[in-house]
Amino acid sequence: MSWETVIGLEIHVQLSTKSKLFSGGSTEFGAESNTHVDLVDMGLPGVLPVANREAFYKAIRFGLATGANINQTSSFDRKNYFYPDLPKGYQITQMEQPIIENGSIKISVDDYEKKINITRAHLEEDAGKSIHDMFEGETGVDLNRAGTPLLEIVSEPEISSAKEAVAYFKAIRQLVTFLDICDGNMAQGSMRCDVNVSIRKSGDKELGIRAELKNINSFKFIEKAINFEINRQIKLIENGESVVQETRLYDSDKNETRSMRSKEEANDYRYFPCPDLLPVIISDKELKEIKENLPELPEEKEIRYVNEIGLEESEATIIASSKTMANMFEEASSKTDDAGLVAKWLVGDVSALLNKNNIDIDESNLSPENFGKLIERISDGTISGKIAKSVLEEVWETASDVDQIIESKGLIQIQDENLLENVAKKIIESNPDQVKAYKSGKDKLFGFFVGQVMKETQGKANPKTVNEILIGLLK
Amino acid sequence: MDKKTVTTISYLSRLKIDGEKEEKIIKDLSNIIEFVDQLNDVDTTEIAPLKNPLEKTAKTRKDIVTAKNLKKEMLEVAPSANEDYFLVPRVVE
Repeated sequence: MSWETVIGLEIHVQLSTKSKLFSGGSTEFGAESNTHVDLVDMGLPGVLPVANREAFYKAIRFGLATGANINQTSSFDRKNYFYPDLPKGYQITQMEQPIIENGSIKISVDDYEKKINITRAHLEEDAGKSIHDMFEGETGVDLNRAGTPLLEIVSEPEISSAKEAVAYFKAIRQLVTFLDICDGNMAQGSMRCDVNVSIRKSGDKELGIRAELKNINSFKFIEKAINFEINRQIKLIENGESVVQETRLYDSDKNETRSMRSKEEANDYRYFPCPDLLPVIISDKELKEIKENLPELPEEKEIRYVNEIGLEESEATIIASSKTMANMFEEASSKTDDAGLVAKWLVGDVSALLNKNNIDIDESNLSPENFGKLIERISDGTISGKIAKSVLEEVWETASDVDQIIESKGLIQIQDENLLENVAKKIIESNPDQVKAYKSGKDKLFGFFVGQVMKETQGKANPKTVNEILIGLLK
Repeated sequence: MDKKTVTTISYLSRLKIDGEKEEKIIKDLSNIIEFVDQLNDVDTTEIAPLKNPLEKTAKTRKDIVTAKNLKKEMLEVAPSANEDYFLVPRVVE
């Protein structure tokens, strides 16, 4: 029997506003517990929520970038449930009139591309944080996060493998970071995802019964959790049992999903329009302004890098794929005339160092100014590419100024033709055998002479000049 | 409205219903629903749902932090807290 997997993702994106969705509480991450809690976030009686307009603007940017319908009138509903980190006893969300509907995003997996439709994206408030393991017999509650604006992005059930799910999540993350509506920091919970997984016989039209996997916050775990769940469901059905519709928790230590029975008991959120909040209307003028100020997206950047700057397509793809890389490229390029060389170094040596240290470029010691300067010193002939490599490594370790490193270490390239000619002559004199062999047709030995001159000058000779001199002398 | 529905609702709303009152509550709730059900006789196909009786739109905020740090005051009035957290009976998944 062959099986087909059907996956839908709900991604919670924390919008990078300064204040909360319905109060003036700060959204800063990592603050001392319960210090960013407004009366509204506490759910005290007699206070009223007032919506943060910036959260709507950020949501609209996402809608525009995914070609979605923007509902200029959207409203809020209450989702009712009891949990200690939700002081009001309900979460304010958008059930009936979400701000965004019917968008799509392109993903690429291995050797194919696919369009994933986005059913809706709606604004809602986050809950606080429960701390279960610090207090004997009690749970601690920190409400700093309560009321933080989230955009919940709901995909159509069109994802057909764990790999596609990861690609989709990555595409959404790339988009929201480029749009500057979320910092994309998964370790801090700025992006979290619930995954709906079901299986059906290949070719069946009807969807199978799905299980919902909760709160997975890394690419690796999305893939593992889904693959575990697919196998679990196939085994169940092949043994004549059936899948139960339920919420399951992924345990990354054991690499398994397990039932969260407590939440199953009564899954009735009794949604109704929130009487505390009137519908929010976004004007045509506001919409137009957001559209006009939409930042350049990865795909557009890629095309511009190739067509206007003349980068190789492969370079453009790598650089445009992350916002921090693209920023580094654009800022460093503005400091030098040789954008092509910036790209070459960024994709080559710099990426190698990033991979080695497993960090993002904005966490490194390399500033765009310093990087631009390094490239400039290569293209104006001050240092050779080989020397530049060691300068880059020095910058990487110490963040020192490129010019200072070059000066203090005496790395300036030797351009003096007389000096280089003398060195070359000396090398030729002391290697008569090689000269003889070269002249009798062993062309490959040319590299030997270049190497010797380089060695003699501690790598500081200008390779082009050395080549010219040697060609002349060995004629 | 039956016994099962009433039990579920009372669980969801965390309201305890005394056994002897159950019959009466089922009857009362049935009456209420029947009464409200009359609304279904009206044809509303062309009418958009009313989100709010004020029929106005919302005033919104600018994205500015205005809240003060009320940690001490809030934890003081909580039924149970230590110096950092609100405390509740243990809830674990």
